[in-house]
Amino acid sequence: MENAWLIPLFPLLSFLLLLLIGKRLREASAYVGILLTLASLVFSILVLFERFSEPTYMAKVNWLTIGEVHLTAGFEVNQLNALMLFIVSLVSFLVHTYSKGYMQGDERFHVFYAYLGLFTFAMLGLVISPNILQTYIFWELVGVGSFLLIGFYFYKEEAKAAAKKAFIMTRIGDVGLFIGMILLFWQTQSFEYSEIFKAVEAGSVSNTMITLTAILIFIGAIGKSGQFPLHTWLPDAMEGPTPVSALIHAATMVAAGVYLVAALFPLFLASKTALLTVAVIGGFTAIFAASIGLVQTDIKRVLAYSTVSQLGYMMLALGCGGYVAGVFHLMTHAFFKALLFLAAGSVIHAVHTQNIEEMGGLWKKLKLTAPLFLIGTLAISGVPGLSGFFSKDEILVAAWEGGHPVLFLLALIAAFMTAFYMFRLFFMVFTGDARSEQRDVNESPSVMTLPMVLLGILAVVAGYINTPWFGSFLGDWLVDGNPILGAAHIEGPAWIMIAATVVSLAGILFAYFIYGKRSIAPDWLSGKGDMLHTVVSNKYYIDEFYQMTVVAIVTGFSYFLRLIDTFLVEGIVKGVVGFVQGLGRTGAKMQSGQVQTYGAVAFLGLAVLAVIYALTGGYLR
Amino acid sequence: MTFSGEFFAFMALALVAIIGGVLLLNLNKVVHMVVALIFTFVSIAGIYILLSAEFVAAVQVLIYSGAITIIMLFGIMLTKPYDESEATTGKWRKILVFLGVLGFAFAVYLGIYHLDIQQVPTTLHEDNTLQIGKALYSKYIIPFEFVSVLLLVALIGAIILAKREDKEGDKE
Amino acid sequence: MSSVPASAFLALALILFCIGLYGALTKRNTVIVLISIELMLNAVNINLVTFSKYGVSPSINGQVFALFAMAVAAAEAAVGLAILMALYRNKKTVHIDEMNEMKH
Repeated sequence: MENAWLIPLFPLLSFLLLLLIGKRLREASAYVGILLTLASLVFSILVLFERFSEPTYMAKVNWLTIGEVHLTAGFEVNQLNALMLFIVSLVSFLVHTYSKGYMQGDERFHVFYAYLGLFTFAMLGLVISPNILQTYIFWELVGVGSFLLIGFYFYKEEAKAAAKKAFIMTRIGDVGLFIGMILLFWQTQSFEYSEIFKAVEAGSVSNTMITLTAILIFIGAIGKSGQFPLHTWLPDAMEGPTPVSALIHAATMVAAGVYLVAALFPLFLASKTALLTVAVIGGFTAIFAASIGLVQTDIKRVLAYSTVSQLGYMMLALGCGGYVAGVFHLMTHAFFKALLFLAAGSVIHAVHTQNIEEMGGLWKKLKLTAPLFLIGTLAISGVPGLSGFFSKDEILVAAWEGGHPVLFLLALIAAFMTAFYMFRLFFMVFTGDARSEQRDVNESPSVMTLPMVLLGILAVVAGYINTPWFGSFLGDWLVDGNPILGAAHIEGPAWIMIAATVVSLAGILFAYFIYGKRSIAPDWLSGKGDMLHTVVSNKYYIDEFYQMTVVAIVTGFSYFLRLIDTFLVEGIVKGVVGFVQGLGRTGAKMQSGQVQTYGAVAFLGLAVLAVIYALTGGYLR
Repeated sequence: MTFSGEFFAFMALALVAIIGGVLLLNLNKVVHMVVALIFTFVSIAGIYILLSAEFVAAVQVLIYSGAITIIMLFGIMLTKPYDESEATTGKWRKILVFLGVLGFAFAVYLGIYHLDIQQVPTTLHEDNTLQIGKALYSKYIIPFEFVSVLLLVALIGAIILAKREDKEGDKE
Repeated sequence: MSSVPASAFLALALILFCIGLYGALTKRNTVIVLISIELMLNAVNINLVTFSKYGVSPSINGQVFALFAMAVAAAEAAVGLAILMALYRNKKTVHIDEMNEMKH
């Protein structure tokens, strides 16, 4: 565990290597990236297993000393960090492998791998930071990495816009995080997590301040995790390559927000208001995004909204005090959502379209992708026996026991919607009649399917490490030595589990009747509420709303600033330029190359000095 | 200050030297300028005699009035300076340099004016050449040898620099 | 002792030096510039010889220094003229204001 700091350095090495010699390596750059992330993965697994038996390890060095304040840099391996290390490096490794097939033949193949390395480095660095300042630095690095990856196809207007949007939207959240961080520092004189928690526990920080900082930090998490109202960047970010979506929008970057809330959980626990805010935002996002997901027709956008919705679930769990449930769902979601994205990528790779209305009958053609996609769909829908079922059940229990019946109801409805839209997606893509324009549809190469198989297995079995039946191993481990984080396992009434099962099965059946058997016309629902359907399929006009308010104000303001820039700043600049140019021209004229002139100028300087010296009290007085 | 013979000799020599210098600045033809300077050099030799430095005076006549002036005349003849008109663009510079020189002279003259050194009787005029010879071959023997090396280097350097490069071009 | 004060010799040297300086900085013909520099050296020699006689501790050293300075001046004149020759061969001019190769 002493060497856990090496883990982020492998991808960084990959990034630097590919930056320097990637052009020469061409396709071989994939192996550099894969091998180095494999090294990270192996180390992460070792660290994870070591952490099972050993206590938290923490190392830090003094970075800056300002008066009495010592800023440190270092790393910490606690339960959450070890688990995150494992998840991130695993998904990153699988995505690296998968990309070798998916990005085959791309002109900037090595650049893609370099960016992947940078992003993985930032994310791994984020999850082992021992203080909030270091977290913030890596947090921003993650933003940079995602910007580069989303905008990878920068020659596409949409990709460019999506990258900018992702960067700016998350930045809005980052401002909150930044202010929260500074406030925390002001109150506790430290960036260290442990110091902050100690100060909060000792009550040396006023309640109002705790609430304020917790909510500000949560705003940062909202931005990164795509929670309402800053969720709009996440679906647009689907313009990036699909492996990127799997990496960023399933397992890592969006999970960073959840991770941040989890890492600062004691701070949130100290404020009822902040917890409630987290829970309400999470619950609302869960149902809100799920409802948009119902009507989307782009395969990746459906998955994107599903991600937003599932992240809302996690926030809901954390907000209800279900620390274990939130982290547990973060883990299972990382597996099955990465699986879904990779499978979707495989489908797109095969049929070259993202519109699900142009797909159909792919079950027979994609012999491996289809069952894997089904596994992912079952898992996310919460069908008993798969990982999603257990984690979702934990969240529902946490919401019920946390005393939020309304939020519990919201979560239940969202679960129904999730099951419905995921199976709508499944049926539309894999069953029904094959479209005529899709003749030569081939299964993806094994370099792409193998990571999917691995994720498929994990999506099935990952749930069993924390179940009400076989013991809550994960929960016990996560809260070990930290009683403040809450119970390892919240006992809930049995009917919740049954209700969750019934709801998800109902959703599946409903989807089956509409899109599978087609015994109910697809426009049965949309026909009923035409208005509602329009509103939902336009994503509640959130983007338009932003366009009309925020963007309009900013545009007006920037127009004003441009006026200042044109007349005031540019005038000054032109003056300076003219002055410097004139000076330069005079200087150039003096640089005539004539020794005599140089001598004359030098002598004149000497003469002036001599006269001044002689007149002002010289050498003899 | 007494109006002794020495004084008159100094005044005459100084006058000739300065007139030579002024002529150097104001004559039009380059050859005339060099000839005007011979006056200056010779009168400086006279000044040396006044300063009881007969050997230096002799060397001054030999080297300056003789060798260097002749070299310069050769240089002028070899380079054919037909165009003797002064450039008109340098007018401002001339004025500026003149003012600068005046200022410099003023500053240095302040130093000379305030100079006050008690005169000490010397024996420089007795066997002046013998004294110089003794000094050169005892105390200053190493610099003396260095000067011989310097002259050799200058000789060879001058030859190499002035040599026509056409032959080298042919070889290449 | 002597009826001419040391400062008279020094003043003469100063005047000659200034004439040489002015010539070196304003004359167009390179040969004249070289000669002006010789004149400046001569003025310095007068100073050396003057202090050899009227200095705080008079001795023969000043005269020996003047001799060395003359030797160096002679060498300088020879090399300077050789450089002038080489330049003249390449540029066909002796005007110092047309020699501006140091610009590049």
